Amino acid sequence: MSPFHFEHLIWHWPIAFYLFFAGVSGGAMFFAVLLKNFTLRGEAAYKSGFVQAACLVAPVTVMAGLGILVTDLTKPLHFWKIMVFYNLTSVMSVGVIILCIYMVFMFLWIALVFRPVIDDWCRSRFPWVLKLSAFLSRSEATITGLLVILALALGAYTGFLLSALPGYPMLKNPVLPILFLLSALSSGAAASLLGGVLLKGNPDGREVHMIHKIEIPLIMVEMVAIFTFFLGLVLTGGQAKVAAANALGFGFWGVVFWVGILLVGLSVPLAMNLFMTATAKRRFAYVAGTATCSLIGVILLRHFILYAGQMTIA
Amino acid sequence: MDKSKRQFLQGSGAVIAGISLYMLANGKVAGEQQTGTIKYAMLHDENKCIGCNACADNCRKVNKVPEGVARLEIIRTGPFGEYPNQFYHFTRKSCEQCEDSPCVHVCPTGAAFKDEKTGIVSVNSWKCVGCQYCLAACPYHIRFINPVTKAADKCDFCRETQLKEGKKPACVEACPTKALVFGDLNDPNSEIVKALEENPVYRNKRDLGTHPKLFRIQAKQGGINV
Repeated sequence: MSPFHFEHLIWHWPIAFYLFFAGVSGGAMFFAVLLKNFTLRGEAAYKSGFVQAACLVAPVTVMAGLGILVTDLTKPLHFWKIMVFYNLTSVMSVGVIILCIYMVFMFLWIALVFRPVIDDWCRSRFPWVLKLSAFLSRSEATITGLLVILALALGAYTGFLLSALPGYPMLKNPVLPILFLLSALSSGAAASLLGGVLLKGNPDGREVHMIHKIEIPLIMVEMVAIFTFFLGLVLTGGQAKVAAANALGFGFWGVVFWVGILLVGLSVPLAMNLFMTATAKRRFAYVAGTATCSLIGVILLRHFILYAGQMTIA
Repeated sequence: MDKSKRQFLQGSGAVIAGISLYMLANGKVAGEQQTGTIKYAMLHDENKCIGCNACADNCRKVNKVPEGVARLEIIRTGPFGEYPNQFYHFTRKSCEQCEDSPCVHVCPTGAAFKDEKTGIVSVNSWKCVGCQYCLAACPYHIRFINPVTKAADKCDFCRETQLKEGKKPACVEACPTKALVFGDLNDPNSEIVKALEENPVYRNKRDLGTHPKLFRIQAKQGGINV
């Protein structure tokens, strides 16, 4: 069985990248809100390289993901029909609604973060923008709250998208949305860290300390979720057990799981985070390296779940 | 700041309460089965089937199914038994016309739908955008993308072709051994209801709870697989 071509394989790697990008976007927005409201309370958040990175990463990834999704349709030019006709029993349809509202609030929130810059630039040119931004700023708490909810919904929805497939026993798994949400958050954190240090953010800054502190329990809970995911399959028995054996065996996807996801994607970042918290002064290479490992792990996790999930049928 | 937080909580609380009430109210309606006047089903007698593929050929002809894809296949397994008493098993691979159809539930545009009048699961190829969610959701893996229309396609009991003209599905008409029975489950006098009452039948993957309406009579010379 070839790892990328086999019978009953319907969704290929573009879907894995879509799942990854949607998660990164939601995760990045989640951490941007945390940084602004808790770490940089009252300061000019837009000056932080990490907030800047998150505000850049979130729109780019979500739009890249949607672009991939649309080109992957067999009728790409008919994509608007998904936005005109809705079916509320369809996870994909609900996801499209979430994505659309999420993007609105994402842009509103980013505009509020950069309000001082926007206001300065518009003061002489478009004075009416100032009125608009003042109006938005009065609803900042509402926008922030809804953005957090939508970002978390976006991270979980990609998991629900796959768990609604009764034909594949590995995917029809209630732990999957939780696993996807957790890994979406850690990929958003990693993307913000990597982008932040690249945008000349201080690798030993308060933002990095804060994100690393959250990442440690996040990775540990992610490992528990993966364990629960597969133990659940084994205990379910039948084709679910076969699916677990096929996925975790010595085949291509088994190696991706053990080496790529568990070792590079989770164990190495966990060890580095613990090490940095305990002793080291954070340097560019540490932060960038750890974040890259995390991102690789999440990309591989999305591919692994998608492909290994379709290898075994009910 | 505190005031706006309170406002946010009040607002989102109201939204959530509204949505829950709406879903509760709607849930009752959605839970009731649509009781259409007709509920079409099919029975494949694997004892009578000789694997001649006349059904598959006629289906392709009538429904203009392009080469390379198929709405209906006869899967041959075997041979079983010792020479000279060898035999093959033939099973029908086509849409199982689930009462509770995963493809209809997951379709984002409603292009996959269950016809209220006949209970037939069908595709509106204009509405279909080709996300292939239904292909992945179908536990029987019988949906395919039609290379001509680029839309999801599958057996619809010839709803658009033969049934419209008042005839039986193409496969049923073509079968030389009368291995296929087609009819209305809601009509106690129909041929299929009688056949279902007289024969022990099985259905595929019933444990998934999709309630398929493609019934099968198992070939008698069957081995036991554990």
